[in-house]
Amino acid sequence: MRHIVHILENDFRNFFRYKWWLVGLISMNLTDLFIMAIVYNRMLNPAIIQQIKSYFNFFAPGLTVTGLFASAFMIGREVNMEKRREVHQYMLSLPMTRFELAFGRVLSGGLRGMVYMSPLLATCFVFVGLPTLEQFLVILVVLFFLAMGISGLSIAIAVSTKSLDKFVTARGLVYYLLFFCSSVFYPFSLIEQLGREGKFPMFLVAFARANPLSNASDLIRSFLLGTPPFSPEMIVSVLIFSAVFTTFAAFAYIKLIERA
Amino acid sequence: MPPIIRTENLTKRFGNFTAVDHLNLEVNEGEILGLLGPNGAGKTTTILMLATVIRPTEGTAYVGGYDVRKNPDKVRELLGVAFQEPKLLWVSTPWDVVNWHAKVCGLSTQERKRRVREVLEALDMWDYRHRSVHALSGGMRKRVEIAKVLIQRPKIAIVDEPTAQIDIVGKHKIWRMLRELREEGTTIILATNELYEADVLSDRVGIMHRGKLLVCDTPQKLKDSIVGGDIVEIQFESDPSPKIVEELEHFREVVKIIKTKASTLRLYLNRVEEVVPKIMSTLMKEGVAVSSIRMSEPSLDDVFAHYTGLTLEEAQKEGG
Repeated sequence: MRHIVHILENDFRNFFRYKWWLVGLISMNLTDLFIMAIVYNRMLNPAIIQQIKSYFNFFAPGLTVTGLFASAFMIGREVNMEKRREVHQYMLSLPMTRFELAFGRVLSGGLRGMVYMSPLLATCFVFVGLPTLEQFLVILVVLFFLAMGISGLSIAIAVSTKSLDKFVTARGLVYYLLFFCSSVFYPFSLIEQLGREGKFPMFLVAFARANPLSNASDLIRSFLLGTPPFSPEMIVSVLIFSAVFTTFAAFAYIKLIERA
Repeated sequence: MPPIIRTENLTKRFGNFTAVDHLNLEVNEGEILGLLGPNGAGKTTTILMLATVIRPTEGTAYVGGYDVRKNPDKVRELLGVAFQEPKLLWVSTPWDVVNWHAKVCGLSTQERKRRVREVLEALDMWDYRHRSVHALSGGMRKRVEIAKVLIQRPKIAIVDEPTAQIDIVGKHKIWRMLRELREEGTTIILATNELYEADVLSDRVGIMHRGKLLVCDTPQKLKDSIVGGDIVEIQFESDPSPKIVEELEHFREVVKIIKTKASTLRLYLNRVEEVVPKIMSTLMKEGVAVSSIRMSEPSLDDVFAHYTGLTLEEAQKEGG
């Protein structure tokens, strides 16, 4: 346990080395939110606006989840850099168990995501609505597990790719797949409708439904806006994603990094 | 006392390339064992296996009685490693690197602060402790890498080319600090391709070439193992008589005598430090006047060449 705290300390120190860059990114996210809210509110089909009431309210939870995703994914870039500069050899030689090392990395990636996401979530609460205490705790727990899963996914990609180019390409593909086949930017009902009309492949509709980013965004929306209605599936999807990728990442980190 | 490190047919293959080939090595507690060899000899791969960073393909090693395959966690608790290439992220600072390393190794807050300051000052890195690693020179980064082990004071320290890129003053400082570390009870494995470093620091030297350990003994015994490796050049005031040459040939340590000039003899022999006093007393007894005497012993380079048929430079080129 002591060593997991040391890993967290090291990873958080590296994270906050870029504090002004992080402040810049959060500011950009918030600017995006406010600009997109105004512009999209006027551009969107009135039928959709009628469904979601206000694009700002709809997008703020989605933006929180994308902010969480992007920041939790940063740990992968560091792990990949360590691997390329052979810093991983030093990490592997430290007097700690492989589990402590691997779990510590996944956990710190997840917690860093939570730290980055907190001003975005606070913006949601201020402008969209306040949850009850229970809802607030559920949101935090679900977002924490989502962050762990994302951190795990990024570490798994980082240790499986040899060069930065390949890592960045893989990261881009994951971003596009998970962001755009989700209800982060547009309501799931719209994706379903497009699927029924044959304008969107049905397997991607199914993917969007299972996508943990969709479910996490919709969970916040259901608590703050009352729509879509809450369903336990939202929590289960995130937990499965987190369990799979946290375990997979820890395994991949230990096995692949030793071979690197 | 059983050896603190023992390898049994330790082997590492990367595809078709065998980096370490059935290595059998023993390291005694409290000694400095120099692993000497050119780049590509298998020193670093051996170190990585001992440090449990990579797994052996075949064979195993016991470190402090623990098998590196079965108890890697226990092995790591005994070890401190200073790598050949400094393992530092460029955004870090020397202070962060060594302070965090000391924390991970379980040093108490007070002890940690004291040792970090002490070692960074001794290595002339105190003034640079808050600079980013990318702003440091290669030698400075290397000092940060070695500082980790000097602060940790592990039971077993593995240092891979500890003074590469470091100036001569720095080299002497690090050598002194490594000796002090050994005096405090740490066993040290020193991997190097610098002959002088291996010679002055090591209690024993193992010569590695193409993944194999060719020989392992004290530097003196290794030098003595070259028959006729020591050279004594005696300049007489007048031509030495055949009787004198004959008497010198009778010493069993003397392998060969060559007359290089009219009044100069070059003797190829073993154990120069023992035989020269005997030669001098013979010459004095015979009343032969000597104007000068010059002695030289083989270097580890000669030892390396003796066992590999290559100079270290040639082997370096061969190993890439």
